Amino acid sequence: MSETRQTTDDAQATADSELAGGASPGTDQPLEVTSGETRERTREEWVEHEFEGEAKLSVSDLDVYYGDDHALKSVSMEIPENSVTALIGPSGCGKSTFLRCLNRMNDRIKAASIDGSVRLEGEELYQDGVNLVELRKRVGMVFQSPNPFPKSIADNISYGPRKHGDLDTGLLANLLGRSDDDAVDELVERSLQQAALWDEVNDRLDDNALGLSGGQQQRLCIARALATDPEVLLMDEPASALDPIATSKIEDLVHDLAEEYTVVIVTHNMQQAARISDQTAVFLTGGELVEYGDTDQVFEDPQSQRVEDYISGKFG
Amino acid sequence: MAGATDTALVSEDTSETEAVAAGAVGLAAVLFALSLASVFELVTITDPVAGVPMVALLGGLLVVLGFAVVTFGVGSRLGYVATDPRPTAGLLASGTFGLIWFVVGGLVASQTLGLGTAGWVVASLVTGGAAFAVSALPREDIGSTLPAGALAVFAGVVFLTGVIGPSWLWDLGWEQQASFNAEFTIPVLTAFCSLLVGWAAAKAYGGFGARGRHIGAYVLVYLNAISIIALLFLLVAFTVLKGLPGLFKGLAFGAGAGPEVTLVGVTFSLPVSWPFVMNGVALLNDVNGVLPAIVGTIWLVVGAVLFAVPLGIGAAVFITEYADRGRFTQVVEIATNGLWSTPSIVFGLFGLAFLVPRLGNQKSLLAGMLTLGFMLLPLVVITSRESMLAVPDEYRDASAALGVTKWQTVRSIVLPAALPGIVTGIILGVGRIAGETAPILLTMSGSVAPPGSQTVDVLGGFQLQYAPPFVTNPELMQATSALPYQLYSLITAGVGQSSNISAIDEFRWATALILLVVVLGFYAIGIATRYYFRSKLQHD
Amino acid sequence: MNVLPNSDGAGLRAAARRGLRRGRDFVDETPPDALVTVTVAAVSLLAAFAGFLAVSSLTAIPFAVFLVATGYGWLRHQELTARVLTLTTTVSTILVLGLILVFIFAEAWPTVQYATVNVFGVPIPGLRLFIETRWSPVTPPIQYSLVPMIHGTVLVTIIATAVAAPLGVAAALFLSEIAPRTVRELVKPGVEILAGIPSIVYGFIGFTILSPWAADQFDIVGQGTYLFVGIVVGLMALPTVVSVAEDALNSVPESMKSGSLALGTTDWQTMTSITLPAAFSGVSAAVLLGVGRAIGETMAATVMLRGSPGLTKPLYNVFYGNDTLTSLIAANYGDADGLQLSALFVAGVILFVTVLFLSIGSQYIEARMRRKLGGAE
Ligand SMILES: Nc1ncnc2c1ncn2[C@@H]1O[C@H](COP(=O)(O)OP(=O)(O)OP(=O)(O)O)[C@@H](O)[C@H]1O
Ligand SMILES: [Mg+2]
Repeated sequence: MSETRQTTDDAQATADSELAGGASPGTDQPLEVTSGETRERTREEWVEHEFEGEAKLSVSDLDVYYGDDHALKSVSMEIPENSVTALIGPSGCGKSTFLRCLNRMNDRIKAASIDGSVRLEGEELYQDGVNLVELRKRVGMVFQSPNPFPKSIADNISYGPRKHGDLDTGLLANLLGRSDDDAVDELVERSLQQAALWDEVNDRLDDNALGLSGGQQQRLCIARALATDPEVLLMDEPASALDPIATSKIEDLVHDLAEEYTVVIVTHNMQQAARISDQTAVFLTGGELVEYGDTDQVFEDPQSQRVEDYISGKFG
Repeated sequence: MAGATDTALVSEDTSETEAVAAGAVGLAAVLFALSLASVFELVTITDPVAGVPMVALLGGLLVVLGFAVVTFGVGSRLGYVATDPRPTAGLLASGTFGLIWFVVGGLVASQTLGLGTAGWVVASLVTGGAAFAVSALPREDIGSTLPAGALAVFAGVVFLTGVIGPSWLWDLGWEQQASFNAEFTIPVLTAFCSLLVGWAAAKAYGGFGARGRHIGAYVLVYLNAISIIALLFLLVAFTVLKGLPGLFKGLAFGAGAGPEVTLVGVTFSLPVSWPFVMNGVALLNDVNGVLPAIVGTIWLVVGAVLFAVPLGIGAAVFITEYADRGRFTQVVEIATNGLWSTPSIVFGLFGLAFLVPRLGNQKSLLAGMLTLGFMLLPLVVITSRESMLAVPDEYRDASAALGVTKWQTVRSIVLPAALPGIVTGIILGVGRIAGETAPILLTMSGSVAPPGSQTVDVLGGFQLQYAPPFVTNPELMQATSALPYQLYSLITAGVGQSSNISAIDEFRWATALILLVVVLGFYAIGIATRYYFRSKLQHD
Repeated sequence: MNVLPNSDGAGLRAAARRGLRRGRDFVDETPPDALVTVTVAAVSLLAAFAGFLAVSSLTAIPFAVFLVATGYGWLRHQELTARVLTLTTTVSTILVLGLILVFIFAEAWPTVQYATVNVFGVPIPGLRLFIETRWSPVTPPIQYSLVPMIHGTVLVTIIATAVAAPLGVAAALFLSEIAPRTVRELVKPGVEILAGIPSIVYGFIGFTILSPWAADQFDIVGQGTYLFVGIVVGLMALPTVVSVAEDALNSVPESMKSGSLALGTTDWQTMTSITLPAAFSGVSAAVLLGVGRAIGETMAATVMLRGSPGLTKPLYNVFYGNDTLTSLIAANYGDADGLQLSALFVAGVILFVTVLFLSIGSQYIEARMRRKLGGAE
């Protein structure tokens, strides 16, 4: 990709900026070109999204590098409280990277370096003294590929609350007669119900979770994240391995969750994004946030030519 | 969460209470260091440190530390300190405290109060049970600080009041006598208490709960890692320091300084004289050396490699490339793993029973070579097989698709690709066998301190003859020395056998050092190649 | 080099039969002279092996024939020869294990038979080795009790494991999960190199430094204690345990660890609840490896112990050290013959079998865990 970037000639660039209505600020970088993708500069007003209420998460000028690879380029967006925000874009454009920045899971990747600011309810996440454990309790995450623990299904669900000290089923608690077994059972059932998995696994809660199918594992990971009761839920393609029925259940879940939670969801399914989200952010190749706004507006009347092409399936 | 305060996302600057806890952790570290210093007799317990005798200092610090931690715990329980404790300290902590106090109660009852068996058992059960209850039943802030702090205070008071004073001695009263003196007991108890209290203080610093446990555990894990690294490093450094004087004694450079050697018919003097590695042991030597042992080790390694490497690689090729996965490969795998873990002395016994009677009925270099070869074999098989399995199947398929036969594929595709791994395995294996003493002890050991004239000359020893066995080599058929064996025999040899070695201690340490250098050299090379090829693989 | 038999030994008959069947399949497409060459090589190698076993000076003749036949085969029919040669090497590897078994058992048998005890009329060979407690090979009554040495080995192994297992696993956790990258990259190879320190060097340091210090500190008569041998052996096994356990911990997939961290758990909770259990098989294999090393460790025990077989009094007195199974062999093989030498082989058999079981046990645990965890390793 970097090779194609270098082949862009200046004349082309000038033509493009004219086409896009003048040079936009903050884009000194050469233009992005992928097969089938129109050349066009991004503009700041395309990513401005007006909404009522508070911003749960505000991201400004976020840059992420993997070594020399510039994976996210100066992304800024405000994510409103109690809503569903969809992230869409072609593969490799940095959606997962962006998501991982919101709960600082990128800290685990040694090659990654992050520059910019992310605030959770006004508190800067990228500063010294941030309690990562507390942050991740509040900002939960469902990973792109399911990653159940090699434990029983029930233990997978109750893992977070047990480790947080909210529930105790240890030997000592049992001996002292203050074990939370009932609460755990209830939690397991509720979480699995929400994730539309209860009916399939209720008779084998003590089986190893690694024995579940891919789609079941995916829903187990959703249930596991729900069980810790986070304020923000980051979901990376949570329905990628699910059949239509389970998918629609998960979509209903996301919809319901938005009443109390802030959900940020990555999806490759455009209809899904249109159905469930309140606002949509479109990332395009090269790690740029090209357009962000009301879902209806983005899908029906995109301001960017590239976004329109992408949504109508011309590339990506 | 059990009435816990909400944890802030961003921690403010260090609060005063945190500073107190951190101070306690620091004090525990100081105390630990002090007690280590007195275990290693850098200071004695009666030496005055800062004006007070060491024992009083240790006792006093323990009391202070114990009170500090208990105060912190109680303060947290009463709500003066903002923490995030769990309802209980947990089974592991409670069990440990219970056990510790069980022992303390028993020792006090039986040794200090002089109670009988029934008496001390009851006392033990009471103190142990109480400690368990105090630790398990109250909230975590009390449960993890009170038993630890109380132990430190108790130990401190015992030291301060002189119940265990500098002249204290506990004779265990066993038939084979052993006793604990104060010089050892006081520092060790102090170190133990400071670890325990340091852990409790670290937990307190983290505000108990998940974060507190995390910090408490990290303190111990860091300490453990640092001690291990320091200890192993000290071990090597110590050997190097003790061995260097002997190793380089009489080292001289300059044209004609060294002994004469003959190479390809030309005789010349080496420009360096290094007596320790160029001499044997003789009465008239200025500096005695270990040349026969060095040469013996080299030949041992060469022989073992010549024997084991073709066999091992062949076996690995067969089970990876030819045999179908199943019973047979499984048997081979179990056999090689079993061989790999077989104790070296068992190989020695086997060599003694199998090889020695068949190779001239005496200990010989050849028997040693083959015995070490048997030891090396499983490692060669295992590592070769691993690296061949790591060669992607596409390579094989691509080659097979060109109509190349199996063996050609193995020879030109699989083996070259697996070579780095195989070589690494061999080098590491060689390092291991080069340092082995037990097998050669039983199969090839010669005299304690061989003179230079007993250096084996394997290449010069071959003789051809017309009757079977056609080739003979008396050099291979006689006992010789090797570095590890030499060190062993120097340690165990009586005065008579090593009387012709002056400065025997220096000689021993130098032998130990050169053995260490040879063996660790093999390891270093093997591991460096492994890392080199691994990183190359990742970048490709 | 003579130990290159073709096919022999009980467990290999099946393999040989399969080889034969395959050989029959070859007959159609393989030229007859290739078959002849391979057969000649195989038969001559067998003969050479038989000759070697029988301590015959004629061994060299069939071996020379074997060399010539394989040389010819290599030049003319490389494919087949390579296959047969590699099969031969495989069989010899198994054969080594078989020979070890056969020879040390055979050598051990006389003493086992000597120590037969009749229990209710049923002769139980070797029982007397384990019910008497005196080792007295020279002064009558002659007794070859292995109990004192087993006692010594058990004490040393327990102490060594108590040192190596917890410290080793904790250090492996540190290296794999906690240490900053630069520290890890420096320390890991360092630890692997230190795993190579020869045991005689440890023994030497123990003998010259530790034993005199301990004797002085604990007011022991003479030198040599199980306690310090155990500590030294534990330290010796430590780098191996650390390095193998670290590999196991490192192979736990990152997605599992981040899955736990993303739920808001501390690093320590993730380590103890996810990483360690997931790597359990590898970590326990590391510990078993350490235990195996401790049991089989010879030189440190030989130079640090007293070499006077007998039980300590009381049995848990670790401040005294007589002999272990390994040091018994190393210290006595020289002037032993007859039944006494055979008794040393019994000690060898015990060591061999114990460690073999440990090895098979750890392989079994690993295989089971792999099956249980399915794809997640
Ligand atoms: N751990 C990593 N190390 C190095 N580069 C990475 C890493 N993770 C992602 N990248 C790079 O960053 C870019 C963005 O990756 P990311 O995973 O965020 O894409 P994505 O939008 O989630 O794609 P997909 O829809 O396929 O999941 C890619 O070019 C990828 O190669
Ligand atoms: Mg992704």
